[in-house]
Amino acid sequence: MATSSATTESAEPPASPPPGDAGGPQLGLADRIPLRRIIRWGLAVALVLGIASGAYQTLAAGVFSPAQWRDLVVFGIAQGSIYALIALGYTLVYGILFMINFAHGEVFMAGGFTAFFAARAMDQAGFLNQQPVLAVLILLAIAMAVSTTVAVTLERVAYRPLRNAPRLIPLITAIGASLFLQYSFRGLYGEDIHSYPRIDALTGTWTIAGIPILRTQAIVIVAALALMVGLYFFISRTTMGRSMRAVAEDREIASLMGIDVNRVIVTTFAIGGMLAGAAGILYALVFRQVHFLMGFLPGIKAFTAAVIGGIGSIIGAAVGGLLLGLLEAVAPFLLLSGAGIPAPNQLKDVIAFSILVIVLIMRPGGLFGSREPEKL
Amino acid sequence: MSLLEIRGLTKSFGGLTAIDDLDLDVAEGEIVSVIGPNGAGKTTLFNLITGVYPADGGAITFDGVELVGRDPDAITRFGISRTFQNVRLFPDMTVLENVMVGRHCRTKSGVIGAVLGLPSARREQAEVREQAKEILSFFGTRLSGYRHNQPAFVLSYANRRRLEIARAMATGARLLLLDEPVAGMNPRETAEMVELVGRLRDEKGFTLLVIEHDMRVVKGVSDRVVALDYGRKIAEGTYSEVAGNDRVIEAYLGKKATA
Amino acid sequence: MVPATTRAVNRGLIIGGCVVYFLAVGMFERFTARPVITDLLTLGWTVLAGLWAVAGVWAARTVLPPASSAPDGDEAGGRTARAVTHAALAGLLAGAVPALFLLLADAINLRPMLINAGATMVNALAVDDSAVAGALRLVLAALVIATVAGIVASAPAQVRRVAGWALGMVVLLALVEPLLRVIIASLGLRTSWLYQRGGLGVSGAVIALVLGVAVGVLRRRDTPTTARDDGDDGPRARLARGGRIAGLVAGAVLLLVLPRLVGPFLSEVVGTIGLFAIMGIGLNIVVGSAGLLHLGYVAFFAIGAYVTALLTSPAAALGTELSFWAALPIVVLVTAIAGLFVGAPVLRLRGDYLAIVTLAFGEIARILALSDWLRPALGGAQGILAVPAPTIGAMRFRDPQMLYYVIIVACAITAFIAWRLEDSRVGRAWTAMREDEQVAQIMGISISRYKLLAFALGAGIASVSGALFAVKIGSVFPHSFDILVSITALSVVILGGIGSLRGVFLGALVLVGLPDLLREFGEYRMLLYGGLLVAIMILRPQGLLPNVRRMAELGEEERLQDQWLKRAGDAGDPEPAIATTKTDGAS
Repeated sequence: MATSSATTESAEPPASPPPGDAGGPQLGLADRIPLRRIIRWGLAVALVLGIASGAYQTLAAGVFSPAQWRDLVVFGIAQGSIYALIALGYTLVYGILFMINFAHGEVFMAGGFTAFFAARAMDQAGFLNQQPVLAVLILLAIAMAVSTTVAVTLERVAYRPLRNAPRLIPLITAIGASLFLQYSFRGLYGEDIHSYPRIDALTGTWTIAGIPILRTQAIVIVAALALMVGLYFFISRTTMGRSMRAVAEDREIASLMGIDVNRVIVTTFAIGGMLAGAAGILYALVFRQVHFLMGFLPGIKAFTAAVIGGIGSIIGAAVGGLLLGLLEAVAPFLLLSGAGIPAPNQLKDVIAFSILVIVLIMRPGGLFGSREPEKL
Repeated sequence: MSLLEIRGLTKSFGGLTAIDDLDLDVAEGEIVSVIGPNGAGKTTLFNLITGVYPADGGAITFDGVELVGRDPDAITRFGISRTFQNVRLFPDMTVLENVMVGRHCRTKSGVIGAVLGLPSARREQAEVREQAKEILSFFGTRLSGYRHNQPAFVLSYANRRRLEIARAMATGARLLLLDEPVAGMNPRETAEMVELVGRLRDEKGFTLLVIEHDMRVVKGVSDRVVALDYGRKIAEGTYSEVAGNDRVIEAYLGKKATA
Repeated sequence: MVPATTRAVNRGLIIGGCVVYFLAVGMFERFTARPVITDLLTLGWTVLAGLWAVAGVWAARTVLPPASSAPDGDEAGGRTARAVTHAALAGLLAGAVPALFLLLADAINLRPMLINAGATMVNALAVDDSAVAGALRLVLAALVIATVAGIVASAPAQVRRVAGWALGMVVLLALVEPLLRVIIASLGLRTSWLYQRGGLGVSGAVIALVLGVAVGVLRRRDTPTTARDDGDDGPRARLARGGRIAGLVAGAVLLLVLPRLVGPFLSEVVGTIGLFAIMGIGLNIVVGSAGLLHLGYVAFFAIGAYVTALLTSPAAALGTELSFWAALPIVVLVTAIAGLFVGAPVLRLRGDYLAIVTLAFGEIARILALSDWLRPALGGAQGILAVPAPTIGAMRFRDPQMLYYVIIVACAITAFIAWRLEDSRVGRAWTAMREDEQVAQIMGISISRYKLLAFALGAGIASVSGALFAVKIGSVFPHSFDILVSITALSVVILGGIGSLRGVFLGALVLVGLPDLLREFGEYRMLLYGGLLVAIMILRPQGLLPNVRRMAELGEEERLQDQWLKRAGDAGDPEPAIATTKTDGAS
């Protein structure tokens, strides 16, 4: 075994830093690894303490009555149901294409906004209040149709050409598409904020199990639930659902098995669009106002919800949505007013964004995450 | 003490055990080949040594320093570098730049030096450039002259492999891990590579750990051969010892049919 | 129906749909306010014509080979006939669809829903005639234009080039009217030979056509593929170098006198371009060099502006009234540290997650700045007022023409920093990280350190832009710092080419300068940005001016190989030299 040492030439005798040397600066690095973990744990602890103290102070001060908390909770669930429906769209697309459909919020907006005009027309004709059930169903149909069209067109025009591009390019495209859609709809429908007409049959409350719930909220919760159950059965029982799951697992193999991958992808976008369109109507029922930018915040929050639940997981999206809705409704008052922060409602969005940041940093896999976004 | 000492190394992915209680020694100046059928865990071994994967158990000691748990860039600074099974150069950087990047961990100029054009930074840059050219000259005319400024993606396949080795050499490593250095080469190129590996040790003093399937190469370069199967070491010794080993033959060809 | 014909039909329908979109969104109406050739052609109709021409060319392509340089021949003739037929067909449809839309808009009042598709649109389209007449005219115009376009598309390359340049030049000169007219006027010359009331006069149009034809003809002679080059020292290379230096000098002179040349309004526009260029350079480092898609970049811009205001304004809560120059280093430092704070937690995140988290950070920053909670410090929705202008001795840099110089200097310094970093150890580390992060780390580059460095540097640069912005406006409001600024900065980087320094300037010029030049675009700026982003990603993701160094090196290779071959030939011994090159290529 020849162990001839290095000859003198060349710029670099291979043994550059002798081990003693390596020990020196490197120990600094060795310190850094636990340091990062310490910082993260420290922040987590601080966060928990902050939350606990804020919550305690609010409850101790008794600013809000139990009835008010209850109302907030119900509202949170309703809001969360809407988020869940939109989040499903995100998670379905991500599961198949591994891309964040940044423009999904605009898909949601398109349906809800377009249906407004139908709603207004029906209201002027008196139809809206004479046949509320039928009217709402028609609105749902219109919204779902429009949203689906937008989603499918989006896929065909903007995403399909970039199916195999490195991940940042579709994301930038999605951002561009989102911007484009927002301002296109501004050009089409104008920049005014419109309010959905009131449906008399849906004003007021029902008392369910002794709890008074706003009728609109009740409908939203039930409808969302029905849609989610429908989706679940679709995914698990139908052939197309099975194909979708297969493509989500491994696109290449699925196509080798004879599955038409393009059709599956289009169907995924279509389903996401339908759910988003429905969410648009439900949103209109609860919040009443539509606007060309109405998709931005719900879009990001729904994405947050999908991430909380574990992006790629359908159950995760549903649970994440509900969770986020609840947190968003309750947390500003629970945490912040106790801490003496004025106008906590302004910071409602900050809570949602902060949750997003925290989840992505601490536990990107979310609650049910099957696809851990590894750094590799 | 060996340059590289591996004791009880274990790594699993989910339910699959990729490396199972592996012991391995590499002495300074040795050329050791790692062979085994596909899936035996050879590249995983490299990934463990270089810190790409964290080991589940066991120890990897390089020149007395414990490697497990360290970041890959720290491990490179200690003196280990590698090439990749599917050549992973920086495609849009030039040949020279690819090698210059290798010198990164041995240099230290930063933003201030670069922006202000401080003499120390300029000197270092010139040095790095010269060192890169010298390293490239190790490969003869193939990567010299006008090739220096060509983007890496125009290179032929064999030249890319050579460039990858040059880049690994530039990190100032003492131990080079070569992952299938002749995959995809024709016989002439393969022979050249065998010669190159020998020169790396003889002229430059590198210690080498080589994953290889091509037995001609294994025979041509190795001082010692280690055979893996299912993440476990099944044989170790000189080429002829290992090549004739029953377990090794079985791993590649299957059990002998009982007559 | 033959597949190619079906495709042509589809393409015609698609363009027809685009035209309807163009109408419904209201762009057509707005654009008819802008003349291209005064009293003869407005921008609105130009776009329509352009769309129909595209329909013709696109449809002709269903038959023609992509880069049609085929010589004229009988078979080519038949193909040309088919191409033109397809073009006509597509044009017919591209005109029919909007024609139907026009009839619909006339029959029903669409305004309640499509606010821009009302009576005024109908009138504009029908040119004050009846809707039916207008509709027929649309179809006819589309048919004619598309057919002509199809004929041109089938023509040899030179014809196409000349036609393209001629028409393009007319549109170009018309669009830059606000700029060019002011420049010519400030030089003391008359402008009526070129421009009349906002658009090209007839004489101006003729001049533009001639100019365009000239350029189109001349460009043909200039194809650089033949190896006429005689190396670095030949007279040709020296001429090229001299030309470049002369160009730089001329450019520098132009920059110095620009404010006086273009007046205060346009100086302000150029100033804004400069601010976005600075931001673009910073973002280019983060995105282009380190490969981190940062959607919350506006946050650093905002921090720069706010800290500047806090430190310098007498109305601010801090009470320190530092001079701008004294405050600047503090601003940069504070923002760089903020960059570290933002960067540290997101280091391990993958591309799209990183983008969303940075977006969230940006939004959090904006909402906090807007909130009542932080009003005592940051002024809430009212912001901070009375930010004083920087001064050097007696010179006050408040008005746009003076501030311009400060901005230009800042641009130059920032560009210099970026340029120096490119060919340095740090720059190489970033490039390696961008091309293959995992391998870069295995080659000894500490990924976390360099990502943090990119974040901090990017943040610092953005803060300079923010500081200048605060001074420019004289106050800081949270409404100036929404996500659209981040997206604009990102678009600037992407349009120019990720990682390309020159591209940033081009991107800023186009994305920030043009909309101000073309006021009719104002309402649709975001729409166009979004569409542009999508188009670029699909068509040319490397941007308009991709990283020049590498492109130059590609050309370099051919030149050098030609040299080698030539030398080998001269030496009378072709074998060794060519053999070396060949085996090199083959091995």
